[in-house]
Amino acid sequence: MSSKIILERKVLSRNDLLAADLRELFKSRGVAVMNIVSSPGSGKTSLLEKSLGILSASMAIGVIEGDIKTSNDADRISSTGVPVHQIQTGGACHLEAEMVRRSLDHFKLDELDLLIIENVGNLVCPSAFDLGEGMRTALISTTEGDDKPLKYPAMFRSSDVLVINKVDLLPYTDFDMEKVIHNARSINPGIRVIETSCRTGEGIGDWCDFVLGFAQQN
Amino acid sequence: MHELSIALEILDIVEKEARIHGASAVREVSLRVGDLSGVEVEPLTFSFDTVKKERELTRETVLEIDRVPVKIRCLPCGREYYNADHRVLCPQCQGFETQLLQGEELEIEEIEID
Repeated sequence: MSSKIILERKVLSRNDLLAADLRELFKSRGVAVMNIVSSPGSGKTSLLEKSLGILSASMAIGVIEGDIKTSNDADRISSTGVPVHQIQTGGACHLEAEMVRRSLDHFKLDELDLLIIENVGNLVCPSAFDLGEGMRTALISTTEGDDKPLKYPAMFRSSDVLVINKVDLLPYTDFDMEKVIHNARSINPGIRVIETSCRTGEGIGDWCDFVLGFAQQN
Repeated sequence: MHELSIALEILDIVEKEARIHGASAVREVSLRVGDLSGVEVEPLTFSFDTVKKERELTRETVLEIDRVPVKIRCLPCGREYYNADHRVLCPQCQGFETQLLQGEELEIEEIEID
């Protein structure tokens, strides 16, 4: 004799639950947290190298770097003077909330205004792993396809901001700026777009203003 | 990508509920999966069918999936549309001013127990 029980219960993964705890922790300590995602080579680390000097003049920043191997990215961030901790996953293609939680032991959260997490270069898996962040920034560059947002919808749907980097290379590629923005908005109408070149410095001011605004709100 | 973790969470939930009701087995779990939920049905089913065997109450449980398509309301047009892909543009006016009505769900509707 069987019976049916109505649950109507949302399913959250273990990562979701831990990320929710982290979100509460960050909120209680007044730390704004940003998760930066992109394909390998779009310019996440370069963007940070170019902007951390300016940003750290007005607030206390900490950076978590995620890579499979090497501390190359953390070394580059160290040169900016900002405290950084490198997570080497050894094989995992994305960061998870548990890794971020362990990483926090390397920072004095009470002294931070902003924590930036540079995720492992990957446009697929990181979209499914909430890290407790308050803002997710997706980067693509002009040497990639302008249909990227349509090919990786989960990533662009879950991001709040799209930074289009390497605009100095536009004359040398077939990348269509209008098309990529249209594509991104068709997946996520509210996504904010910022165009940058880490080489020439174009748009870095806009990026810094944006980050400052975000950190001050939280 | 994290379908195994989702499968484990589903099993935790249904096992707990089954115990509360003194069930001897869980026959079926009805799961609502939206097309924008980020969860793929095939790897989820595969993961579920593999790990369910490790628990006595769920050894034979069938995972019944109810897919929820993307439905949007276009604010300028005032009409509702079903979209077959991840784009939330209005198919009529190509506008961006849309509201997502359904498609992001990942919920257990009900379970059937013995």
